[in-house]
Amino acid sequence: MNRTLLEYTLRVRLPILIFVALASITVTYFVTRPAREGIGYAPEQPIPFSHKLHAGTMKIDCAYCHIGVYRSRYAVIPPASTCMNCHKYAMKTSPFIIKLTRYYDENKPIPWKRVHRLPDYVYFSHSFHVNAGIKCQSCHGDVQDMSVVKQVSSFTMSACLDCHKNARTRLSYIPNIKPGPTYCVACHR
Amino acid sequence: MADSDKEHLHKELPVIQPTEMKGQHYWKSLRQFYNDPSAIEAKAHEFMEGVVDDFKLSNLTDMSRRKFLALLAASASFAASGCSLYQSKGEVIPYNKEPVGVIPGIPDYYASTCSGCKHACGILVKTREGRPIKINGNDEHPVSKGKACARGQGSILNLYDPERLREPMKKDGSGFSSVSWQAADTAIIEELNKAASAGKEIAVVMNTLNSPTAKRVLDDLAAKYQTVKLYSYELFDDLTRQSAWTKSYGAGSYPLIDWDKAKLILSLESDFLGNEGNTIENARLYTATRNNADLKNFSRLVVFESGMSLTGMNADLRLRLRPELQYDLVMSLLNEFVVKRQTSRYALDKGIIDALQGYSIEKFAAESEIDPKSMDSIISYMAKYKNASILYAGDRLPEQVHVAVNLLNDVLGSTALYRKDQSEAVILPYSSLEEWKTLVAGMNSGNVAVVVHLGTNPVYHLPKSVGYADALAKVPTVVTLSQTESETSAASDWVLPTNHDLESWNDFKTRTGFYSLQQPVIYPLYVNRQKEAVLLTWAAGSESAYHDTLYHDYMMARWEKEVYPPLRLAVGFKEFWFSGLDVGVVSFNEQAEGFDSFNVAAFTSSVAPSAAKGFTVTLAESYFLGDGRFANNGWLQELPHPVTKVVWDNYAALAPATAKELNVDYNDLVEVTVEGNNLKLPVWIQPGMAEKVVAVELGYGRTHAGTVGSDVGFNANILQTSGGAFSQWINSSASVSRADGTFEIITTMEHHSLDNKLVENMQFNRGIIREGTVEEYGKEPNFIQQERKEDEPTTIYKNYEYNGIKWGMAIDLNKCTGCSACVISCNVENNIPVVGKDQVKVSREMQWIRIDRYYSGPPVEPRISLQPMLCQQCDDAPCENVCPVAATTHSPDGLNMMVYNRCIGTRYCSNNCPYKVRRFNFFNYRHHFDGEYYLKQPAPMVSNPEVTVRTRGVMEKCTFCVQRLVQAKQDALQEGKEFTGSGVVVACQEACPTRAITFGNVNDKESEVAKLREHPLGYYVLEQLDTKPNVTYLAKLRNV
Repeated sequence: MNRTLLEYTLRVRLPILIFVALASITVTYFVTRPAREGIGYAPEQPIPFSHKLHAGTMKIDCAYCHIGVYRSRYAVIPPASTCMNCHKYAMKTSPFIIKLTRYYDENKPIPWKRVHRLPDYVYFSHSFHVNAGIKCQSCHGDVQDMSVVKQVSSFTMSACLDCHKNARTRLSYIPNIKPGPTYCVACHR
Repeated sequence: MADSDKEHLHKELPVIQPTEMKGQHYWKSLRQFYNDPSAIEAKAHEFMEGVVDDFKLSNLTDMSRRKFLALLAASASFAASGCSLYQSKGEVIPYNKEPVGVIPGIPDYYASTCSGCKHACGILVKTREGRPIKINGNDEHPVSKGKACARGQGSILNLYDPERLREPMKKDGSGFSSVSWQAADTAIIEELNKAASAGKEIAVVMNTLNSPTAKRVLDDLAAKYQTVKLYSYELFDDLTRQSAWTKSYGAGSYPLIDWDKAKLILSLESDFLGNEGNTIENARLYTATRNNADLKNFSRLVVFESGMSLTGMNADLRLRLRPELQYDLVMSLLNEFVVKRQTSRYALDKGIIDALQGYSIEKFAAESEIDPKSMDSIISYMAKYKNASILYAGDRLPEQVHVAVNLLNDVLGSTALYRKDQSEAVILPYSSLEEWKTLVAGMNSGNVAVVVHLGTNPVYHLPKSVGYADALAKVPTVVTLSQTESETSAASDWVLPTNHDLESWNDFKTRTGFYSLQQPVIYPLYVNRQKEAVLLTWAAGSESAYHDTLYHDYMMARWEKEVYPPLRLAVGFKEFWFSGLDVGVVSFNEQAEGFDSFNVAAFTSSVAPSAAKGFTVTLAESYFLGDGRFANNGWLQELPHPVTKVVWDNYAALAPATAKELNVDYNDLVEVTVEGNNLKLPVWIQPGMAEKVVAVELGYGRTHAGTVGSDVGFNANILQTSGGAFSQWINSSASVSRADGTFEIITTMEHHSLDNKLVENMQFNRGIIREGTVEEYGKEPNFIQQERKEDEPTTIYKNYEYNGIKWGMAIDLNKCTGCSACVISCNVENNIPVVGKDQVKVSREMQWIRIDRYYSGPPVEPRISLQPMLCQQCDDAPCENVCPVAATTHSPDGLNMMVYNRCIGTRYCSNNCPYKVRRFNFFNYRHHFDGEYYLKQPAPMVSNPEVTVRTRGVMEKCTFCVQRLVQAKQDALQEGKEFTGSGVVVACQEACPTRAITFGNVNDKESEVAKLREHPLGYYVLEQLDTKPNVTYLAKLRNV
């Protein structure tokens, strides 16, 4: 009796247990991967700024607000003063523009929720990539169609390297694009 | 160290002629010279004994295992309960209103002026998002020409010092209480009015006044309060040099020297490359004559000195001489030229001939025990290059020596080397010791009602015999304007916080012909005010006169009225003003001071300085702390002394023979007594010192300097004399005796030694230092290459081909003076932490570049070789092969990369590095050092945002400033240019005042660095190991 129970446990239950455990780990790993990498993250912003309206319908150039994107490592989140260039006059009665104006007048920065983030030890340069002809959409998705900005692609090292190695297929819209560097100090210092 | 080390004291010193060049044995310390087994053993190891296994829980952070587990559990439950937010990436905070011209991520540069010392060099301040992060030299400045010294560059840390004074304070019983500026100003103005109406003196005490506009402010103050008197001083001034000049030539001030035109420089107890005059300029001009491509104009530097100074380290011929004999030296040289060789018109001057009687070279050589052959060689050199031999006496020598030196320069015709294009501008002469004594008498008798200290610290600085500190207690109102607390602020009734250089407006005039402008690059961090603005408020008589731009407006108004109109420019004032600020320098035509003929009476009337025969104590300024004002700067405290490599301390340096005579060893205490004041100091045995001389540096032993700087070293200011005997800083009737006890001095000189215990003298056999003489090089330019051939390496690796850019560096050892500006520049650029004395003791200093100092020859009169040592970026780097996690690998442009986020801290790489340039973070040093001192706000703001701040357990090393290389490449490519690697400047190269460091793409055959790699003097360190290093060293040439 004892012997058969042990045998049953070892031969049947244990393998099933291990299989189930491994299978659930594997499935969980792949199923939750996009979410863990932040894909789909779309936080509620203090002011529900719509890229769809501004960049899509009104076709304001990305660099009008993100002034660093051609020149600096950072694309730069625009200061409230940039919003006020128009909203001193436009939509002045909208409750969110009133909120915006209050931030501006009280000299408080707007606490935007961060959507995209690279670890501190990564030194990514927007200007270098954008000046090489890479479209914002290649990493950030079709922002001009988003009412609420969300992360659409992965920002892991393997995602970076995937594009750096396979630039010709991933960025086929740029003629003669060269693969990016894959050595460490290109991004880490 | 102690027991085994004592043996060397009892060994007979071997006799080696100092001019012998070949077959020399290089050594870094006396332990190594005597082949102390422990020193040889130590070279075989990467870490010092016991360093890697002394785990003490108390050294770790406060986190215990229990606490850790508790926090782990707590954070897990928090994470579980807050699941919905696990993706949160926090906030991103933009500006509300963007400052004009600021784009985050792009640095801005502002021209300004450093007021860290009296020389006021031009600087270029790099700011990021409005925050200054690095100080470089300003290329447009006619004196410093694009370079800043170690102190100037390190002074950026003082801006962010967490212990800067933040608000005005009033003495309140034994402590201080905070007050408002309004209350302080009102009360002080009332005191000033009372003093002025009662006819009592208001003493304003400052360091060198070198700003014309600030002088005008002081004049305004004196106009409002009639009893204002101005006093100025420096801990080390050049009053004797100036007074000797005035005596010799009737008027004017000592001229500047054309070092770059000299063929022979005879430096007498002077440290013109390290501490005297504008050392940035001196070093640049001097090394211009050390060009291996121009052997004809190769100068010879002969140094007669008692201690071992930075200048002495660089000498072609260095002779030990007690300071009292300097007068005899100059007199016997005069005798040789004027009387014996009948040089110059003075040969017929009866007075001079009489005065020179009794002096001769033979007598001097016998008295000083200097080899007569050395004297002969110097004299024949002087005779050969008469118009190009300059004698330069140190600031600390007495007036008689200076007068005699002036005469000798006149005799030799070396007045041709006095600069005609520029001379020093003096706005307010220093107060003499007599004036100080008068002031102190006034303070004691109640005639002085108010004393105002303008950012200065006389309580700590002035000689004890002046009695300043005691007298100050009797003054009713003492006001100190200061950035930080000090000994003087502690003795004051009012302490007012002032601006750092980088928050200030000013104009400086240190020389004829130009102004150097200072502009703020950041708004004052606290409610601190600029000291000139505070004085203007007082001069206006009402606290309400103050506003933020008070001094700025005042200065602009003066410039508009006085400076701008005589220039007769076509542009308007505003344009002129802004272009001036943009460049940082405004030049105009101004004649340099000239001089007439030598006044013979000055020489014939002077009598030999009295010199008792006892111990001689010489005091010198600390190379990096200055007069102590940088004591609270961890970077500067931890910068190894150029000669002794000691950090965090001063000491009494003695010659080996003197130490033997006193029966003391390293770290033993000796008691030094000067004019009744005594001080116990630890002993440092310094090869090459004159016997019976004790050399001590000032600037240490501060009691009120802040957490970092207080109680570091010993306050030797009390050993200053009242100036009567010999000079204020040299006393020849001191007594020195052994005292009980020891004090441990920490030096890095034996740290990271390159050697192999298997073979003695490996340093020489392996050619770590290669050098030769000018003569040798002239005859056979390839002598270094012939030496190298013997070590032809073989390899089993197939060489990687570098087709694009390959980075390389060349260091010209002829030009390196050991000033250490590169080390500080690297510290600032690469976020190098301060580790503290206890950590340096176990060889854990974190600096990525070090300057190795080797002695060769006998300890009595050693010769010194310097070698900046940094990661050699080897093509076949031994470190890369052993990393188990590929955290250090090679880039296609030839860099040995270090990836911190991949490093797991096995330290195999460091163990395998023959150059010992890798540094391991045994702690998170920002947490570990002095109660997290450099984590207190705003200190972390000094960090360079382009470089990772490394944490505990991570290996790090020089990266060739990869952040700058990557940035330059991206900039070029995004502008559509081909990137050739030209124009990239790394931090150490940027700082080097003598341009000893060249950096660039070695595959670009037109680049300077590629040419230097093929230079006949070029060699690599330890190239026999076939690591294929990429730092070329150009061998030093000595002009012996």
